[in-house]
Amino acid sequence: MKFNAVETQKNIETKLHNSSDVKSRTVQFFEKTIVLMYIADITDNVLFNQTIIAPIISYNVEPQGDIVSELESKVLTNHEVVEYSSEQEALDDMLSGKTIVIVDGAEKILGIDVEKITTRPVMEPPTSVVVKGPREGFTESIKYNLALIRKRVRTDDLVVNIMDIGELTKTQVGIVYFDSVADKAIVKDIEKKLKKIQIDGVLDAHYLISYLQRNPKSMFKQIGDVEKPDILVGKMLEGRIGILVDGSPIVLTVPFVLIEDLQNSDDYYSQPIRVGFIRVLRLLGVILAVVLPGVYVALEIYHYKILPTEFLVTIRNTTQGIPFSPFVEVFFLVVLFEILYEANLRMPQYFGMAMSIVGALILGETTVNAGLVSPPAVMIVALSGITFYIIPSQAAQFSLLRLAAVVIGACLGLYGMLIFCVFILSYLSSFDSYKSAYLAPTAPYIESDQQDNFKRDLIKNMKKRPRSIANNRHNDDRRSEDEN
Amino acid sequence: MKINYRQLSILVFMSFIALKCLALPGLLYSESGNMSWLVTLVLMFVDFIFALLIIDLMKKSNAKNILEFMQQCLGPVLPRIFMAVLVVKYALVVANISKGLEFFVVENFYSSLNWIVFVLPLIILVGFMLYKGIRNIARVSEMVCWAVLLGCVYIAVKSIMSVDVLNFLPFFKDGVAPLFKSGYQHMSWFGSSTFLLMLFGKVDFSNEKKMKLVQYSFLAIALVMLIHFVFYGLFDITSPTHSFCISDISQYSSGQSSIDELSWLVVSLWVTAQAVQLALFSYAMIQAIKFTFNIKTNVFPILFVLIYIFAWSFIGEMTVRLEQVFLTQFSSILTIFTAYVIPIILYIGYAVERRKNKKIRGGEKCKS
Repeated sequence: MKFNAVETQKNIETKLHNSSDVKSRTVQFFEKTIVLMYIADITDNVLFNQTIIAPIISYNVEPQGDIVSELESKVLTNHEVVEYSSEQEALDDMLSGKTIVIVDGAEKILGIDVEKITTRPVMEPPTSVVVKGPREGFTESIKYNLALIRKRVRTDDLVVNIMDIGELTKTQVGIVYFDSVADKAIVKDIEKKLKKIQIDGVLDAHYLISYLQRNPKSMFKQIGDVEKPDILVGKMLEGRIGILVDGSPIVLTVPFVLIEDLQNSDDYYSQPIRVGFIRVLRLLGVILAVVLPGVYVALEIYHYKILPTEFLVTIRNTTQGIPFSPFVEVFFLVVLFEILYEANLRMPQYFGMAMSIVGALILGETTVNAGLVSPPAVMIVALSGITFYIIPSQAAQFSLLRLAAVVIGACLGLYGMLIFCVFILSYLSSFDSYKSAYLAPTAPYIESDQQDNFKRDLIKNMKKRPRSIANNRHNDDRRSEDEN
Repeated sequence: MKINYRQLSILVFMSFIALKCLALPGLLYSESGNMSWLVTLVLMFVDFIFALLIIDLMKKSNAKNILEFMQQCLGPVLPRIFMAVLVVKYALVVANISKGLEFFVVENFYSSLNWIVFVLPLIILVGFMLYKGIRNIARVSEMVCWAVLLGCVYIAVKSIMSVDVLNFLPFFKDGVAPLFKSGYQHMSWFGSSTFLLMLFGKVDFSNEKKMKLVQYSFLAIALVMLIHFVFYGLFDITSPTHSFCISDISQYSSGQSSIDELSWLVVSLWVTAQAVQLALFSYAMIQAIKFTFNIKTNVFPILFVLIYIFAWSFIGEMTVRLEQVFLTQFSSILTIFTAYVIPIILYIGYAVERRKNKKIRGGEKCKS
């Protein structure tokens, strides 16, 4: 089929509803008319002029054969030139930033990559701040993100597989992994799941989570998310697979195990002894965050006898005259904390400080002074609230668990809290994320993986890839053959 | 859904300490006096031997489950009868653990409570673990066992300074006969290895570390012996009046009228251990019910077991005391049969069957 340049231009314009940002330019190339079409705001003008317009206009050797081949091989100086045999293919690529070149009477349309990438610069992500170590974070551009990964990985073993998802947005989604390390069955499974997705648009990586996780209704996170290329590459070296989404600075990783959230990229750049101590503290923080208010309510209502006498007297003195039961008191404070947090998060930054003062000082101070709540209850809820953010990515789940713990503590006391804790352990033990047990390497206990569980061994001693992550078992040695 | 060898060893640990640290030491003392510890030691060691025996059979067999294995060794009829007997045995153990848990919680945690309401969360927990299967129970055990072990060691070590070693002397002052008598009478508190029968075909031996089972079994025996030693050393002739060994030794050691704070934590951990033990033996009971009545689904046996546990909460303390005595007498024979006789029959049956197969194969070779 031969393309009529003017007719094709009109067809494409009609298909795009004559949108005003669709631009075209007609140039004469010897006896042929060439129509260049592009979307104005996503095209880099400098590149457009330098690699398309200027070469075409300044070329003065009369072409001998097929004009399209001549243009492709001798005229256009752009690094990427693609051929299309259908109008629709050309249109699809034009929408992602390519300029299409329609030569009148030719059998092919050319597409030239002059996309203008609009994104913020590479910055340190707010959720993964490190004291020492790389500070580069992912941006909203999949191209930049892939470049950040490639910069760290100079091997032919890295596989990048990109596909479009979303009927209307046609968002680029990329799967990245090390061919010799990742479990191929999991890669296939992910590809299959992604290809099956039928949705009008994908605006962020989190849109894909419910399609990828096995228990989509569960409140617990089953897919990992990272915002830094060094962390992603570290996870990929262990056998995980990364899923990048254009427009999102979050890269999803599978398989995911719970211990990942207790680990921080800082851990790998610090002394192992300190890392072990910090990880245990983090775990303790999580436990405190979830169960402390519930335990306090249980002790206050049912088991006050087990508190040391001096401590009990102090608490009793401060709780005397409080009109509410310990349950109502703590429940009210927990809910208030959630409201303040939510308001603070969405409030313009310049109000933030004022809000914190109103929330923490005025509300806290006045409610205590007014005798509505007791100081120990405020202290317990505040302590629990702060320790939540030791693991910010699970804070939402933990806040719900905390509320449940308060109710259970009030209804059933310590016995109820114990049953609640065992139930949570049992529930988490029942998860498997892509052939990896959720609580591994603790339950099931995997001895070789204790090198990077609650403690971290020296990097040089971490010779094997973790067995708790489903990866290529035939290639679990991290050392080169010489070192072996 | 298979469990690994380490998880199997931990389940053995949990089953070995089940029931041993509450009422048992006091009950034993009434019969065998200051040598009660020897009864526990010997019977736990016997349990260990039988655990090894069952696991050996498990490794050798290629059967999908215990029923298939029994049918291979004993023909079609006898296994169903054995299964029915095992259902009764597990039912008694489940009842014993759930009642023990009830008394323990009521006595130590609350001044007054309605157990019929308080048992519901426990039933939900056990139901969930049973629904998720043995791997879930094993994984939870893996997490709980170390905390329980450390907690119990803490309580025992904390009280050990108050132990009067003279309480154990003289040895065998009433001879050996009372030991045999009390061992027989309280047999139902032992025979823990019976649950292993229900794990045929459910253990992955590929990463087996031979010493793991021995280590965990000996750890369990050492832990129970340590607690019993402290208990008898502290309470001597008043031992029979103490129904909750683990919490009572802690109370004694604090020197106050109430238990100290850290011991409370340990006492609390014991509740979690008991919940896991309850799930473990309930699982064994469900499997036995399924094999006895040829039920394919898990749902109805699970519901039955949960209702059974709930039903026990209606039986009051006084009735249960009588019940306990009755069940103890009755279940001694049952325990001997299920924990010791059945494994021996299976072992012999398996050996005979193997010899038969060898002969047949040898005959075929000669013919060819």
